[in-house]
Amino acid sequence: MSAVRDALADRAAFVGGLALLAAVLLAFLVADIPGSDLVTVGAMERALQAATPIALAGIGGLYAEKSGVFNIGLEGFMIFGALFGAVAAWTVSGGDAVGQADLWVGVLAATLVCGLLAALFAVLLIRYEADQIVAGLAVWFVGLGFGPFISTIVWGGVSSPSLPNIDNVAVPVLSEVPIAGRLFFDASPLVLFTVLLAVGAWVVLFRTRYGYWVQAAGENPEALDTAGVDVNRVRYATLVFSGLAAGLGGAVLSIGIGSGFTGTGVTMVDGRGWIAIVAYLFGNYNPLGTYGASLLFGAMDMLQIQLQTAGISLPGSITGLFPYVAVLVVLVAVGYTRVPAAVGEPYAKED
Amino acid sequence: MLRASVLERIAIAIVSTTLALVIGAGIVALSGYDAVEFVYSLVYGAVGELSNVAFTLRQSTMLILAGVAVAVAFRAGVLNIGVQGQFVVGGFAATLAILFLAPLLPGNALVGVALMIVAGGAAVAAGGAYAALPGLMKAYADANEVITTIMLNFIASGVVYFLLDAYLRPPGAAAPNTEAFPDYVDLPGFAFGSPSFSVIGFAIALLTVAVVYVYMTQTGSGYDLVTSGYQEPAAKYSGVDPNRMIVRTMTLSGMIAGLAGALFAVMILGYYSDPNTFPTFGFDAIAVSLLAANNPLGVIPAGLLFGGLDAGGQYIGFTLDVPSELVDGVIGLIVLFVAAPELFRAAGRYTGLGGDDG
Repeated sequence: MSAVRDALADRAAFVGGLALLAAVLLAFLVADIPGSDLVTVGAMERALQAATPIALAGIGGLYAEKSGVFNIGLEGFMIFGALFGAVAAWTVSGGDAVGQADLWVGVLAATLVCGLLAALFAVLLIRYEADQIVAGLAVWFVGLGFGPFISTIVWGGVSSPSLPNIDNVAVPVLSEVPIAGRLFFDASPLVLFTVLLAVGAWVVLFRTRYGYWVQAAGENPEALDTAGVDVNRVRYATLVFSGLAAGLGGAVLSIGIGSGFTGTGVTMVDGRGWIAIVAYLFGNYNPLGTYGASLLFGAMDMLQIQLQTAGISLPGSITGLFPYVAVLVVLVAVGYTRVPAAVGEPYAKED
Repeated sequence: MLRASVLERIAIAIVSTTLALVIGAGIVALSGYDAVEFVYSLVYGAVGELSNVAFTLRQSTMLILAGVAVAVAFRAGVLNIGVQGQFVVGGFAATLAILFLAPLLPGNALVGVALMIVAGGAAVAAGGAYAALPGLMKAYADANEVITTIMLNFIASGVVYFLLDAYLRPPGAAAPNTEAFPDYVDLPGFAFGSPSFSVIGFAIALLTVAVVYVYMTQTGSGYDLVTSGYQEPAAKYSGVDPNRMIVRTMTLSGMIAGLAGALFAVMILGYYSDPNTFPTFGFDAIAVSLLAANNPLGVIPAGLLFGGLDAGGQYIGFTLDVPSELVDGVIGLIVLFVAAPELFRAAGRYTGLGGDDG
């Protein structure tokens, strides 16, 4: 039964993807945009960069939801990641001349702090059976408030001063490979790390015993319990992982690829945590699919630069909306087809 | 969504708010500020002077309206996180109606009243239509409304900003603001003497609450709405189409959000501006509604409380060094605590103060 359902869901995602692609191609034909100006190595490089934070948060969220907990607080964790990455790097450097080592400390600190926050969040969701949607929204609100608040305390304004970002690293030999060399091996190490994480997450989820535990915790917690595995322990682990990954994603935005924390409006995370949720839905709960979907949203995000080089000038306020529109198109095309059976239900052991 | 008795809900609301405020004050103290002065200023800023009370009521008016919009949807089992976007679109529709019709008509008080009624109608229609979109997406394409409505918030702000910036900004103006509305398009202030608060606005919010309450508890249509959210099989059995209920719920919720937008444009701004700079009434309203256990009547005290917090927080932002964003964080904490009633039951069992029903 479930194999049939999986196949149907896969097909739905596939048809949805095709529909989106067809829509984009049609738009190109209608607007008479030369495709060769749009798909360049530079464009792919920017898309990979833009996809990285989305993919990180998406893979984390995927693990949490696979194990039966919907972490809808990803956006909030990303805000904290972006903030604490910048705060830690700035503090460690002593306030001026932030160096590469300081930035790496920032990345690490952001990841760990968000892991810790996610652990607290997990206690609220698992131990105290909080409503997952409402509590996840609350994490966003807490981030929207405390993000700019802490920034004001540290820097006297809702945004940080301009900070440097992590240097590209050229891997010897591999960076000489045409196209792929420039995209992955002479790029931000965080871009490469995220690709490896996606592959690793796929292997763990679908090829290891622990991955089967994660899946069982979301599909059939009773059976997992009967097999002697602590369901809630698995869920704690995946939630903490989702916090670590989202925190890293946030740090990538502020100091990994970007140049400091911006706390105006809905902060610099700007909906990427929400897009990450759609990325793993679109990727049908497959880490590699999630990465692919993130790449699509990343490309949408960077489309403006391509349109400009192709001589098409649309105002930034409109092209900035492409990722959100893409999310809607994807959601309508894919729907909510294959949610793990036990998502949203707290698991209490029968004593 | 959250199972608890009425008394328990009230207790949870009070404890959540107190706990969040205590944590807020603790953070203030940790950041090296005076926590006592913080709390004093919060209260003084909310109710210390008549002008502060007017500001509180002005914020409460918006939060009550937006809160009812959220509550209508949540009550019926639909999570409308898009009230902010529907509020922006509604206010924009009201602005368009006023700016396009005013030059065609004579300028007197009667025309002003008529214009405001037309603007309100336009806002209600626009807000309802904008909310129907995610309703349709949820009902017929199974798209999660939490995510679609959040995306539509971003899209509303972006598109309205674009239209404002490109077409409605008066020539030579630096800021992306429309022209000011004519003087006669304004609600009178009466006793409070504040140009941006009107007792009529507050009355409109209360009236909306009353209408929604009567609709949901006294009419068959409202009853169908609530049962289809909570007992879909039962609703189906009695011949109610749950998909149509979802769309109807969202539309109703968006209509109220649109009305809030019209009131914001007419009563508070008197022109229209970049929606990215607007207060986040639509998000705070989620906290208002949750604190009220999604009960339309409960939204009134919850809206007054958050209005006071908001006014107090802004006062703190002007007078102390403490950044006013803190209050937004405190509101987030309140929501977090409200989401976990089990936390308080456990605390109650632990301290022996009750909660022994678990």
